[in-house]
Amino acid sequence: MSLASKPHLSLHNLSVYYDTVRAIEGVGLKANRGEIIALIGSNGAGKTTTLRAITGLVKPTFGEIWYEDQRINGLPPHRIAELGIRMVPEGRRIFPLMSVHDNLLMGAFLRRNQAEIRQDIERICARFPRLAERMKQAAGTLSGGEQQMVAMSRALMARPKLLLLDEPSLGLAPMVVREIARAIQAVNREDGVTVVLVEQNSRMALRLSSQAYVLETGKIALAGASAELQTNDRIRRLYLGISDESEPLTL
Amino acid sequence: MGLAPTYLGSVMSQIIVNGLMLSATYALIALGITLIFAIMNVMNFAHGQMYVLGGFMVYYTYGVWHWPFALSLLVAALVVAAVGLILERFFFRSVLRRSRREESTMLLAVGTALLLDSLALALFGEKQRGVPDVVSGVYHLAGAYIPARRLLIFAIAAVLTTAFIVFINYTRPGRALRAIAQDRETAALQGVDVTRYSALGFGLGAALSGLAGGLLISTDAINSGAGNLISIKAFIMIMIGGAGVVSGAIAGALVLAFSEAIGYYFIPGSLPYLLILTGLIVFLLFRPQGIMGRRWG
Amino acid sequence: MNRLLGPLIGLALYLGIVPLLIHGSSYWLTVFINISLLAFTSLGVWLTFYIGRINIAQGAFALIGGYAVAVLTTLHGWPFWLALPMAGLVAGLVGGVVGSTILRLRGVYFAMLTLCLTEATRLLALNWTGVTQGASGIIGIPTPFGGDSSYLQAYFFSALLLLAGLLAIWRITQCRMGRVFRALQAHEDLAASIGINVAQYRVLAFSIACAFGGLGGAVLTVFLQSIYPTSFNVTNSTDFMLYCFLGGLQFVLGPAVGALVLFLGFQLLSALGSYQALVYAILMVLAMLLLPNGLLSLRFSVRQKSMREGQV
Ligand SMILES: Nc1ncnc2c1ncn2[C@@H]1O[C@H](COP(=O)(O)OP(=O)(O)OP(=O)(O)O)[C@@H](O)[C@H]1O
Ligand SMILES: [Mg+2]
Repeated sequence: MSLASKPHLSLHNLSVYYDTVRAIEGVGLKANRGEIIALIGSNGAGKTTTLRAITGLVKPTFGEIWYEDQRINGLPPHRIAELGIRMVPEGRRIFPLMSVHDNLLMGAFLRRNQAEIRQDIERICARFPRLAERMKQAAGTLSGGEQQMVAMSRALMARPKLLLLDEPSLGLAPMVVREIARAIQAVNREDGVTVVLVEQNSRMALRLSSQAYVLETGKIALAGASAELQTNDRIRRLYLGISDESEPLTL
Repeated sequence: MGLAPTYLGSVMSQIIVNGLMLSATYALIALGITLIFAIMNVMNFAHGQMYVLGGFMVYYTYGVWHWPFALSLLVAALVVAAVGLILERFFFRSVLRRSRREESTMLLAVGTALLLDSLALALFGEKQRGVPDVVSGVYHLAGAYIPARRLLIFAIAAVLTTAFIVFINYTRPGRALRAIAQDRETAALQGVDVTRYSALGFGLGAALSGLAGGLLISTDAINSGAGNLISIKAFIMIMIGGAGVVSGAIAGALVLAFSEAIGYYFIPGSLPYLLILTGLIVFLLFRPQGIMGRRWG
Repeated sequence: MNRLLGPLIGLALYLGIVPLLIHGSSYWLTVFINISLLAFTSLGVWLTFYIGRINIAQGAFALIGGYAVAVLTTLHGWPFWLALPMAGLVAGLVGGVVGSTILRLRGVYFAMLTLCLTEATRLLALNWTGVTQGASGIIGIPTPFGGDSSYLQAYFFSALLLLAGLLAIWRITQCRMGRVFRALQAHEDLAASIGINVAQYRVLAFSIACAFGGLGGAVLTVFLQSIYPTSFNVTNSTDFMLYCFLGGLQFVLGPAVGALVLFLGFQLLSALGSYQALVYAILMVLAMLLLPNGLLSLRFSVRQKSMREGQV
């Protein structure tokens, strides 16, 4: 097997149980270097659990996680972070009492080159001008969209090789979602970062990704090229909110 | 100029001086306990006992063996930090990992206080101990008397407090500690070795208490049973200021130190503390989260 | 029936066999009188745990009860049998008043404040010289136990008091009030949202707890015939709490078992001289590490595990 064909990240038959409750079972997926893959599914399908297993926050009950020729399941979170894996967690999880600037510095916690760190902060300010104005402000006082930018920027400050995004568009206005989407695309294209994008509302995820996996109650129900899944009837109905009767969903 | 300081003026300045002198050392105590609480979510009931341990380290190294004062302070800090690290490693770490109930860590904290209390009694005896003055002389300032030794202790404590605040706010490990205090998991995701840094936080908090003990034994005597009283003072300070917040610890230290300064100036004996404790209960009635604290920490 | 067997055997032992064995030794009678009364006092702390609060103030209420009985009997000439319930009442009322303010705090905040309360009460006793005589304390408190068998009388009185206390607390946990208390322990906010007057029940539980402290402190005071501001202090407050913890918080018998084992253990270590306290503390911390759910959890873990949930 040649090196090029080896996936950057792969999960094999991964199962996670919380006590006796099954969260995911037998999940397998892979992401090639420089690829964006999407992981979609409804509430409680096990998307967050999958990402938490990759980052070491939960220990898989069965199965293996491979990353760059190394088995990483069982490693503590900070060791996994050292390998260049970063997650933008569900609910953003910024450090609320720290300034935006300090949040970004926390993202660069493992890096030592101060000049490069400063450079990266400037790049982030250029990418998200709204953050540039709020560097000294406590991150907890920012708006939801701004907090998502902080969370995303914090992850980028690590110069990750693999970026895991847990519902980055949740609760954001369409314009901000577009801004986030552009940022994801930019990191992927310019820096060659591999991205695992978890989304519930999957339109954006399917558009950005090349491969997609559909989780249903803890198991992979469907997998394939994103372009194909976009035209799949079942996906359209369940995850894209497009019904055959072409009646728009209203509340 | 020309105006001689009035009696009232000199009383005022004496109280301010006394309060200020005390507040710097108290800040060390409060910062230590608040750091441990923020990092580990453990209320360190043994904080006063760590203070006593630090005091006795200075008593032996400086008072009995005549080492340089600075060196004996360093020894006090290191020994108490080591005790903190041992407690963290062998007691708290495992209990924190397996228990979900707040009670079990609190029980353990009380147990360690008891353990250190009886250890201090067995090692150091019951006698009240003091040390010879580090420096002698008295200064006058706006009608207030300032003994040189108190001024020195104040200066050291103020420098240490400032150093701690700078460390927490502007250094990489300080940031990591703050990150752990705010969100443990997310800190780990940034590559922070949470276990190691928690131990660091515990050791540092303990060292601060030991330093405070080492400093205050040079102005006030200490005995092996003083631990609980110091813990109570630490609790008062963080309840006033709000637990787990650096600014709260400072605020609490200032309030307690000045209350003591005012109280002891006008009322002799133990009545001031009764008033302080009563005041604390009334204060918490209106602001249960303290001055700077978030609600319920 | 099976569930009652253990406690019944314990009861028979405590009221029958123990006094038979030690009736000649005033030392051992004193030890067991202390155990009964400390256990009784700790029951109050246990009840505060039951509503989800860590109470380190019981020393304060024992002190209040002690002073109440001392003042009433020595200064006002009340008979002991009248002064004793009064002491419980006074402590309960003070507990109600104080509790209505401090019970708004939770967790370590409540624990810290109750610890401060113990210290505040000591200082109050020290400074309120008009009533308490300050540091010189009140001595020569008349005792209702007299004659050759005074220790044995005190033993039976304390044992029966403990028994009554255990039954009372057990009754409380079995009735509607107990269910409300349990709800407070688990989900205070939820309890409030379904219309339980949380504040009122909390204060009620706390006053009962304080009344236990007052009664226990009063009997201990009368037994010792003297009281000082330091008679019940921070150390006692933490001891009461530790008895509950180490006995087992999920069992009504917890404080009694905790007091028995710890107090007896401390006495048995007296041969160690100046290392007594140290060894005791080490053993206690080891017990905390090895038996995080208390001593009684040993007994129940060998039986069916499922019983533990329903066990009180
Ligand atoms: N800490 C936990 N303890 C017990 N069960 C858990 C825990 N975390 C998650 N679960 C369960 O595991 C399952 C998967 O949860 P997960 O959070 O991974 O879903 P998700 O796909 O991210 O959902 P959502 O879109 O709502 O975020 C759910 O049934 C959830 O209830
Ligand atoms: Mg999720």
